[in-house]
Amino acid sequence: MATSFMRLGSANTYDNSLRNLASRQSSLSGLQEQMTAGKRVVRASDDPTSAAQAERAMTRLDRVKTEQRALEVQKNSLAMAESTLGDALSAMQRFRELTVTAGNAAYGSHEREQIVNEMKTLRDQILSYANRTDTNGMPLFGGLGSSSAPFLDGVDGVTFQGLAGQPTSGDNAIPFVLDGESTWMSVPTGNGQFTVDLGAGNASTSTLYTSAGRVDNTTDYAAVQYNSLSITFSVTGTPPVTTYDVMDTTSGAAVVTAQPYKAGQAISIPGYGMSIIANGVPADTDVINITPSPRGAQTSPTPDGTVFGIVDRLISELSTTQAKNQVTQSVTRGLAEIDTAMDRLQRSRGFAGTLLNKADSISDLQGAREVQLEADRSRAEDLDMIQAIADFQNQQTGYDAALKSYAQIQKLSLFNYLG
Amino acid sequence: MSGVLNVASRALVANQVVLSTAGHNIANVATPGYSRQNVALESAAGQYTGSGYIGKGVNVSTIERSYSDFLTRQANAATAVSSGDNNRITKLNQLQDIFQGGESGLGASVNAMLNAFSDVATAPTDLTARSVALTNADEVTRRLRQSADRLTELQYSVKTEIGDKVTKVNSLAQQMASLNDEISRSMSGGQPPNDLLDTRDRVLREINQYVQVSAVPSNDGTLSLFVAGSQALVLGASAMKLVASNDDFNDPSRSKLSVLKTDGTLATLNTAMLGGGELPSLLKFQNEDMAEAANLLGRLALTTATVMNEQHRLGRDLDNNPGGDLFNVQGFSTPLAASTNTGTGTITIDPNFSPTLLKASEYEVTFTNGSDGVITRLADGATMAFSGTPVTLDFDPANPDVDDGLTIDIGGGPAAGDRFVIKPFSGVADNITTVFSSPRELAVGNPIEPVVTSTNLGSLTASKLSVAPGFVMPTPPVVITFTGPNTYTLSGGVTNMPAGGPNYTYTPGSPITVDGWSLTVKGTPGTVTPPTPEDTIVVQEATATYVSRNAGNADSLMALRDMAAFDGAALSDGYANLMGQTGIRVQSAKFAAEVSSAIATNIEKDRASVSGVNLDEEAAKLMQFQQAYQASAKLLQVAQSMFDQLIRGLSS
Repeated sequence: MATSFMRLGSANTYDNSLRNLASRQSSLSGLQEQMTAGKRVVRASDDPTSAAQAERAMTRLDRVKTEQRALEVQKNSLAMAESTLGDALSAMQRFRELTVTAGNAAYGSHEREQIVNEMKTLRDQILSYANRTDTNGMPLFGGLGSSSAPFLDGVDGVTFQGLAGQPTSGDNAIPFVLDGESTWMSVPTGNGQFTVDLGAGNASTSTLYTSAGRVDNTTDYAAVQYNSLSITFSVTGTPPVTTYDVMDTTSGAAVVTAQPYKAGQAISIPGYGMSIIANGVPADTDVINITPSPRGAQTSPTPDGTVFGIVDRLISELSTTQAKNQVTQSVTRGLAEIDTAMDRLQRSRGFAGTLLNKADSISDLQGAREVQLEADRSRAEDLDMIQAIADFQNQQTGYDAALKSYAQIQKLSLFNYLG
Repeated sequence: MSGVLNVASRALVANQVVLSTAGHNIANVATPGYSRQNVALESAAGQYTGSGYIGKGVNVSTIERSYSDFLTRQANAATAVSSGDNNRITKLNQLQDIFQGGESGLGASVNAMLNAFSDVATAPTDLTARSVALTNADEVTRRLRQSADRLTELQYSVKTEIGDKVTKVNSLAQQMASLNDEISRSMSGGQPPNDLLDTRDRVLREINQYVQVSAVPSNDGTLSLFVAGSQALVLGASAMKLVASNDDFNDPSRSKLSVLKTDGTLATLNTAMLGGGELPSLLKFQNEDMAEAANLLGRLALTTATVMNEQHRLGRDLDNNPGGDLFNVQGFSTPLAASTNTGTGTITIDPNFSPTLLKASEYEVTFTNGSDGVITRLADGATMAFSGTPVTLDFDPANPDVDDGLTIDIGGGPAAGDRFVIKPFSGVADNITTVFSSPRELAVGNPIEPVVTSTNLGSLTASKLSVAPGFVMPTPPVVITFTGPNTYTLSGGVTNMPAGGPNYTYTPGSPITVDGWSLTVKGTPGTVTPPTPEDTIVVQEATATYVSRNAGNADSLMALRDMAAFDGAALSDGYANLMGQTGIRVQSAKFAAEVSSAIATNIEKDRASVSGVNLDEEAAKLMQFQQAYQASAKLLQVAQSMFDQLIRGLSS
């Protein structure tokens, strides 16, 4: 209640009441605008901090959506690479079976020719798997960069024409290609550590053949792993006594000399930590060569230690070799190499699987972030409808009361009583 | 007898005057600026007789205005401030509407453009993805130009409005002068010309709505008006003219006001001293609010376009050609010289600048002699002294990493007192375009490629390669030789050897950064047994095959999103900050307008309580003086009947 009396200018009272009514009306219409838009912050000035916050949340949201879309593409490519590796593994498995069959001692060259023909088909199939591209025409096994067909089938065998390397995953992305080099082109020959071959000049009467060999003592082996060895047999006297010498051809030193040979027994090489099992009857001066396998990225210049290299070698040996011991030798080495190759392919497939898993967890995480960001945006600028409707009702009541009281006060005038 | 008659007729006249004044008040109840009038009555001096003074009735001494000098002056000032604030908020709302948020806003298009490179990165050969990125870039320029156009339109309308309001003030000042003339003549009659005074008050009020003036009354009844503290606008019966023009630097985006004096000279008004009113608020809006918005927009355009261009130039397009500019950005405009300059000095902005350090401001350079002077950053008023040329704009010398990113060169012979204004962002957003439209030209490929030597013994693989500004092409190729399990050396075409060589520490997974490129290597180098060669990785110029299927530079372009660019905020958040900053301006102006309008309303109420007409009061007066009038008439009748009585008595 006013404690002191104040004159009121009639026109001013009228103006003031009108201004108050107008301000009530404008706040009503403001509330209505908010309710129509569903937003608490229609203009930045309504709440600059929230407006900037909402804008930032929207920026992040757009980014998450883009990343999710990119991840989808990456996932598709990788899933394709993964299933391609699965196909390649089945083909290799079939190739392995054929190799085992080819080793059947009862088979002659005619049967082997048929087997070799199927092997050739499989080989082309495997090459096409390696050169497969995704929906955008990007090679699945392109590594850091390559042409659309990274594996070139040349005169010297298949070579990788791309840049070796596995692209990394980002925080919210996975690579969409696998490294072709490590998947296809890095298969150590022989048993994985060294290769055991029969000498090219071995006598045709010789029936000597060997196992793929193995490493018995890793410490000893590690010291000399890059050295090549040769085992030379000598058959002297009657009845013939077969002995062998082992020579380190890299250093030129004799390792052991005149060791007695017994078919089917292990020849272990002292100080080198490796052993092989030789079988059959060697002729005099027969030679077994032991050479270290190329490893790591060390595949050039001869594309031997690759999936295609071992396949090509098996095919060529099986189609030209007639001698049974040679066939057995090829098959033994081939099987060891096929296992290594399949192991490599399996490893890549596992890697692809891991990445796909990662993609799924990224996807989940991003999904959660999306929800979170949407909530942030909504909190910053969206209108609490219940609150807004309550406010609106409140304002409406106020406006109504103001209009009624104004109309009544305006009616009050002393002139009404003059007359 | 005649005494009674005289008293009665005087009373009749006096009451009639009161009634007609009440009528005048009622008639003017809604007239703006009208002051309630009161009749001052006084009793006429009595006539001396032996039995005392006999009253001779009533006199009307004067009709006075109910008027408070103090309240009127306050109401005028409050009106000036309030109408200025209200005008500014209207204009600021228009400015705010230019910077919309959400999907249709400029910020969304900048982000859409940066995000589009993600699709290019996953499908480098996909021309559609490239087209989308390019179209998005074009959309950014379109929205930038559109925002700049709307700013220019607003600028134009504000300028026109200033001109209109100046004309209005001049016409009001002219009216004021003629009213002064009339009033001084009427006052000589001794009685105040109430209604003329009210008209003059109304004119004064109206002038105050446009520009705050201080009114100084003089003895002859005239009122002299002064603007900006002390500059005369109306002196008695003569009025000066207000003139609006471009500022001292003839910058069309800024205005100033001056007074054209009767002697034909122009006196520039200090904008800071103008006080309230619509004209000063328009000046403030144009010179501060719009300038800030234009600078923020220009900086957004300049920084975004420049960093994108820098990164894009490093890449290779689908045909292995080095990338060009993505955006066409106009060069810096020539700084404007003040019209008062006497020297021959010129200033140019060095075209080499740091896009991420820029401040959204203009700068004023004032020379104290031929080579030294002071530079003021207009946005916040920070100053720095300089000596000689070139000058790096650095307002925080204590912090060596941070300057304003710009360098200016001074040429010619500036004289002491010469001033220049530097507008780094003028016209940038207005003229930005994309350079090409062929998606093949989008340079998203890395310019270099890593080759892991095939005879390596270990498991080294190259996993990520990126280039950044400062990149130098490795010619001949750079060879990274791994001399041990965790050491490497660099040889070949390295321009700037990194510190800490020649043996660097190799950490798998952390990048090797040389000459602006960086390569992440993983795996372990092979065991080295001489004479076996050590493991190496060669970094060389990219071949066409590699480039066509590589999108390393798209990743780098995309990574610009998180680059600290706008006063430390990320590039992708630049627009949110711009919006927020404009919003804060509008919000504070809105609060100011609410406060000043409440003050004005209250003071007006106070003024109205003194000068306003209250109809009930007038009705009461009407009744009161109607009765008095009737009583006076009755008195006349009594006098007449007395007279009749007397005559009848005499005649009978």
